[in-house]
Amino acid sequence: MSSSEPILRVEGLSAAWGSLPVLDRVTFDVGSGELFVLLGPNGSGKSTLLRCLVGLESPTSGRIVLEGRDVTALAAHRRGIGLMFQDAALFPHRTVYENIAYAPLLQRRPRAEVDEEVRRQVDLVGLSGFEDRAPDQLSGGERQRVALARTLAARPRMVLLDEPFASIDPELKAELRADFRRALGAAGASAIHVTHDRPEGLFLGDRVGLLFEGRLERIATPRELFRDPGSERAARFLGYNLLEGAHGPEAVDPRELRLSPEGPGGPRLTVVAAGTTGGERLVILRTPDGGRVESRGPDEGPVPVPGDRLYASWTRSVRVAPNPPRTAQRRQEP
Amino acid sequence: MKRSLAELALLAPIAAFVALFALLPVGLLFATSLSAVGGWGGLGNLLALPLNQRSVANSLVQGGLSAALALAFGYPAGVFLGRYSWPGRNVVRSLLLVPFLLPTLIVVLGVEDLFGAGGLLAGPAPWLLHFGHGVPAIVAANLIFNVPLVVLLTAAGCETASPELEETVVTLGGSPARAYRDAWGRPTWIGAAAGGLLTFLFSALSFAPPLLLCGERCYTVEARIWSLDQILLAPSDAGALALVMVVLFLAPTVGYLYLVRRLSSPSGRRARPARPLSWTGTTVALAVETAAVLTAVAFLLGAVLFRTLVPYGGGGPGSAWSALFGPVTAGRLGVGIPAATANTLLFAIGAAGITVLLAVPAAYAVLRRPGRSSGLSLLLFVPLLLSPVVLALALATFWRPLLGGEGSIWILVIVSQAVLALPFALQSLGIPLAGLAPAGREAAESLGAGRFSAFLDADLPRVRDGLITASLFAFALGLGEFTATYFLVTPRFTTLPVALYGLIGARQLPVADAAAGLLLVLSLVVFLVISLGGRRVEL
Repeated sequence: MSSSEPILRVEGLSAAWGSLPVLDRVTFDVGSGELFVLLGPNGSGKSTLLRCLVGLESPTSGRIVLEGRDVTALAAHRRGIGLMFQDAALFPHRTVYENIAYAPLLQRRPRAEVDEEVRRQVDLVGLSGFEDRAPDQLSGGERQRVALARTLAARPRMVLLDEPFASIDPELKAELRADFRRALGAAGASAIHVTHDRPEGLFLGDRVGLLFEGRLERIATPRELFRDPGSERAARFLGYNLLEGAHGPEAVDPRELRLSPEGPGGPRLTVVAAGTTGGERLVILRTPDGGRVESRGPDEGPVPVPGDRLYASWTRSVRVAPNPPRTAQRRQEP
Repeated sequence: MKRSLAELALLAPIAAFVALFALLPVGLLFATSLSAVGGWGGLGNLLALPLNQRSVANSLVQGGLSAALALAFGYPAGVFLGRYSWPGRNVVRSLLLVPFLLPTLIVVLGVEDLFGAGGLLAGPAPWLLHFGHGVPAIVAANLIFNVPLVVLLTAAGCETASPELEETVVTLGGSPARAYRDAWGRPTWIGAAAGGLLTFLFSALSFAPPLLLCGERCYTVEARIWSLDQILLAPSDAGALALVMVVLFLAPTVGYLYLVRRLSSPSGRRARPARPLSWTGTTVALAVETAAVLTAVAFLLGAVLFRTLVPYGGGGPGSAWSALFGPVTAGRLGVGIPAATANTLLFAIGAAGITVLLAVPAAYAVLRRPGRSSGLSLLLFVPLLLSPVVLALALATFWRPLLGGEGSIWILVIVSQAVLALPFALQSLGIPLAGLAPAGREAAESLGAGRFSAFLDADLPRVRDGLITASLFAFALGLGEFTATYFLVTPRFTTLPVALYGLIGARQLPVADAAAGLLLVLSLVVFLVISLGGRRVEL
């Protein structure tokens, strides 16, 4: 975070689809120049929260304060919050240049300034020379770069990114994430990035908010979050195993789990599958009560076979609290 | 990838049918007529005749006026229907198809019932008689028939708009008006333009409205061709004028096909969900306009039904129905109404059967490969280029002598109805097929199913609704087909629309209303079956 003064403050925001609650008193803030990640499973309310922030949905209660001004009731086109979609949503009948120049022209900036803005943005997203191409001549990653450039060219007070890498090839994703991070940083833009992809969220975020069933359960830096997930479901979502320790449920990193055919040790688990993922052995097991457990370690020694019963042990774990009670029946977002 | 032999085999029946019953007879009609009138010079002389010139001008004026007004009335209602979710929306969408399924004769009758001498409106307000005849009446009839088409196609355009693009414009600072201009308005313009072109074509080539609501001074080219062939007994002149007509209306027909293709290929995108209706000044205005359009259509069709209850011939209420099935009507028409109804149903079933048998394999072979088949699929849409009168004239000239006596006329009627229904059946089938992912069929093939079994097991169940819709739509079009049938039939094979024309011509209006009511009921039954299960017809 480059400044302690929040650019965005969200206070007790709730939203519903008809009578079914989707968001439940969500409160957080985003600092100037910060990249805040909203991480949560599908149906947790991430996109609805984003749409409320940008003004495309109306919250049932709560406040959205942008740069000290309450914008909760302000129309979307007056908020100055840019939104990028999973589908880049480029104008199909306009070139790359025309897509990026769209907002500057809407703002009636002088032509020379518009040209300069477009040039700066295409440089920033690494698409110099693509200005005259039509969207259907671009790859998925290039389309997303154009969409980011178009969003930044509007000079929004804040940028919201709704799973922009969801339909990008895995090989390109890492590079694109890094380029987006750099471009947003260079533009000095504050941003909220929404994703259900754990590595993506932890990689990108200055801070990460974990959203479950419409509730923002925890906000922390990626490192803090991983070190102390908080609840059982947060630990599970972050990739921890949940195992019963001496003092109750414990979250165990799959890399910390040791498996042995002989006790004494922790609980006895049944192997479901085992194999190599390239330099690492992955073993998937079941606890006696049906819970799923993963072990990752060096690909050495005999490979367990399904049905083997192994004792689990670990030296490091994190204490987690039980999940908070559910307040009301929720519906999945469309 | 070259088209496989199997695919060509699937296309062979429809190609042969279109060639034998459309291209060949029409081509020969044009060639022989052109030769008979003395070549291109003779054609020029024919066009120089004032009555022919006037018919072309009438077509352009009536088509242009009707299209412009249909766009003005239909576009706002189309936006309201396509963009917003409101109670009864799906029912209204289905009901709007009813005028298209009806013969124009019913609409003509409705105009007479409302604005003709002693009509429901012109009776108490004689100044409205102005709308009961001449160009205003013809345009009014065209509008009732065509405004729903513009509404439906505009709504279809709305559904292909990308919600993300619209939201992007708004979040980039564009006002709602800007979002309309730059994002969601464009597809609605494509839909409306398709509707406008279709309205222009149907109105410029209309037959019954100028004949019954005005007379010779308002004849369109279509009516003039009929008059040259049937009244003036100059078939060569009729054939040559038909050639002019096809050339004249080639561009709008191809334009319509192009636009409708753009509407139906939104790159696999699912239909845009309608947004919840919130009452603002704009939505209230759109709702009021939509209600006005629906009321006008319902009022006109209601007038027809209402007049069937008016006492007739000294009888009580409903006596027009007794008269319809009575001996006087049978004597006047040369055939009883039950027989005419049976003819109508048999011809429509025959036409629907042929249409579907031809359209299914063709649509499967052609439309599964979008982008590779535009030339070939255009050939299958050739019938859309042909007006009913041109087709009937060609079939009568070429095939009637080959088929022999009057007893075989029914074959030509069924064939003509099938040819005219083919483009619409292909359209109804093409869209579900075009959106069909090959994964299901390929999975079936990888599990050992042959190509045909894979088609039956994987593809057919998923286009079943399209198939049912296409066959019912072809049946409904057959039920209401008047122009070509009227050109071809003899009294023995009279259909309900032809009987209706005879009754209007004889000024037996309440009895004609009852015949129209019968047709309306039959069409409504088909419409109800189409609507069951949420099926939709794609125009």
